Amino acid sequence: MASDKELSDFLKSVEKRAFKRAVYAVRNDDAALDIVQDAMIRLSEKYADRPAAELPLIFQRILSNATMDWFRREKVRSSVMQNMSEFVHGEDEGDFDLLETLHAAEGTLGTESASDAVSRAQILRRIEVEVAELPGRQREAFLLRYWEEFNVAETAEVMGCSEGSVKTHCSRAVQALAKALRAKGISL
Amino acid sequence: MTTQTLISDSQVLQARFAARLASSLTASTAMLPNDISERLRVARDQALGRARLARQAQAATAGSVLGVTRNGAAVLGHPGGWPRWVASMMPLVLLLVGLLSIGQLATHEQILAAAEIDTLLLADDLPPAAYSDPGFAEYLRSGPAL
Repeated sequence: MASDKELSDFLKSVEKRAFKRAVYAVRNDDAALDIVQDAMIRLSEKYADRPAAELPLIFQRILSNATMDWFRREKVRSSVMQNMSEFVHGEDEGDFDLLETLHAAEGTLGTESASDAVSRAQILRRIEVEVAELPGRQREAFLLRYWEEFNVAETAEVMGCSEGSVKTHCSRAVQALAKALRAKGISL
Repeated sequence: MTTQTLISDSQVLQARFAARLASSLTASTAMLPNDISERLRVARDQALGRARLARQAQAATAGSVLGVTRNGAAVLGHPGGWPRWVASMMPLVLLLVGLLSIGQLATHEQILAAAEIDTLLLADDLPPAAYSDPGFAEYLRSGPAL
């Protein structure tokens, strides 16, 4: 059974990546926060008695399900209030605030010059945009496999598909990202 | 160079590129605005609170079940054995006994009240109006059947 500290440490280690993963999927910070909070509470209420080693897989699966639930709710809501939904969606697009990002990054970039920091932030932002642009399954496979560092079998378990599908999704995601970034003159 | 080697090289390159992308994504999480980080912290605290509550509820349930296994006589799963079970059942037994007693007492009182009314009717003097009743007059003419 995971102790309070183990659970706390795990949530702390995963919360920011989980938030980003949700943002890439739903493209709305508030909705992403709700999804992450929902996933954390579901994990804590139902799976706190599981060993700490099992938490990452369970949490990622819960997060995927919570994201799917959000899309289902959004689909119902948009069918009722289609115009309102489009208005809200349009408002969220392109709300990236470079100054806010720079402010948050202040102190973490150390000896970087201001122009370097801006350039770096822009590149990171472009990478994030390209990741968000990937098809849902490819993005999920890529993030689980390479960002969460799950192996192929674990990724397949979370995604509920075969290992072959995971490999295919990952390969296509990496190729698509490489092509998109190269087109924008970004090399890693 | 064999096909297998080419595939392997391609996979290595893919993994290396993906790892660089992942590290860029990790760097971007460090730039999250403070309000987002704070809201995530609050969400985490809330989740940990729920976990504590869930554990407490689980421990309470486990304690009750343990009482049964440790004390074979605890039929309903109460910890503490049969004396506690008897003690917990006592109010129910007392309530049933009380209800039965009240029922018996009420029936007895109804019988006594009916008997008293009958006695009063039988022992009462003949009302004057009875002499104007034709039936009673006929009864008097025919005489009492002793």
